[in-house]
Amino acid sequence: MYSREIEGQVYTFGVSGKLWRDALLMYDHQTRSLWSHITGQAVEGECQGKQLKILVSMPKITWQFWETHYPETKVLSVGDNIDRFGQQREDEAWDGYQRYHQSSNAGISGTRYNDFRLKNKEKVVGVRIAENYRAYPFSVFKKTAIVNDTIAQRPVLVFHHNKSGATAVFLRFVGTKRLTFVNSVDYLVQDEQTETLWNLITGIAVEGKLKGKRLQRYPAVNVYWFAWARYHPATTVYR
Amino acid sequence: MIKAYRLYILLILVLAWFGFHQSVVAVNYSTDPIITVLPFDAILAITEPRFVEARNAKLGINSPVIGVSLNGDSRAYSIHLLNDHEIVNDQVGGIPIATTW
Repeated sequence: MYSREIEGQVYTFGVSGKLWRDALLMYDHQTRSLWSHITGQAVEGECQGKQLKILVSMPKITWQFWETHYPETKVLSVGDNIDRFGQQREDEAWDGYQRYHQSSNAGISGTRYNDFRLKNKEKVVGVRIAENYRAYPFSVFKKTAIVNDTIAQRPVLVFHHNKSGATAVFLRFVGTKRLTFVNSVDYLVQDEQTETLWNLITGIAVEGKLKGKRLQRYPAVNVYWFAWARYHPATTVYR
Repeated sequence: MIKAYRLYILLILVLAWFGFHQSVVAVNYSTDPIITVLPFDAILAITEPRFVEARNAKLGINSPVIGVSLNGDSRAYSIHLLNDHEIVNDQVGGIPIATTW
């Protein structure tokens, strides 16, 4: 998720039909430069070297959970997406990429991926803080939805909720108070210092001393290991 | 006999270390080629998105969506719908955004 504005110039993007490192290159309608949709950086053309600002988003969550926590949400509707009962739908029952997700094959370029710290198709939460990259294998979140960690001296909370698929990364600070999170139940969690109860889908304190406070978020992605390692070979892996 | 066995173990360890070391540092992607697989706009990005309110939206409860909330303005984009478009050019909470899949 990117801002389309750089230094006052707003760009609109289309699909170039080109791939770089096994992933889509976008092009902007204004200069026809090519941009990586993985890094947000222009790799060819007039804009080469420019960087789109990465925005915080929820990379994947089930509709039910999103609607519950963001009831005011608007939902993308694409014309003529009619189901077999003749009704317009805002999703598709079928995932066109299902076979890709189920196979052990990685990209289509035939590149041999050789960073064997994890399996190529293992899913990870990818976090970037400044120029530091860390991958959290989904398997870490089987027993607990949260990891208190420190990246580049910044205390972070990494959250992945199996039931909804929600993923989020937060700074473990409120004001000048550093927090440690414990007792995660479902998507709710307590901080040890004030015993405030936090909703980690929204990042807002729902009960206790810090009620109403909001944790600062960092961008996070859900991604296959091979892709993360390919774009960020210097990444560390949380174990 | 025992010595030969030890040498064998040592050799494996050295190879394993070498393999591991290589996997971390030996990759240089800066010269990766750009590969053309389709013409421009063969997949049509969305430039004028339309929306429905949550209560009128028809999605399965477990349908995966990408969510974003900026300045109190929120969006849900069905991931399966994005398979066919890959990019949505949108404006959320006053900010022009690109959602990509």
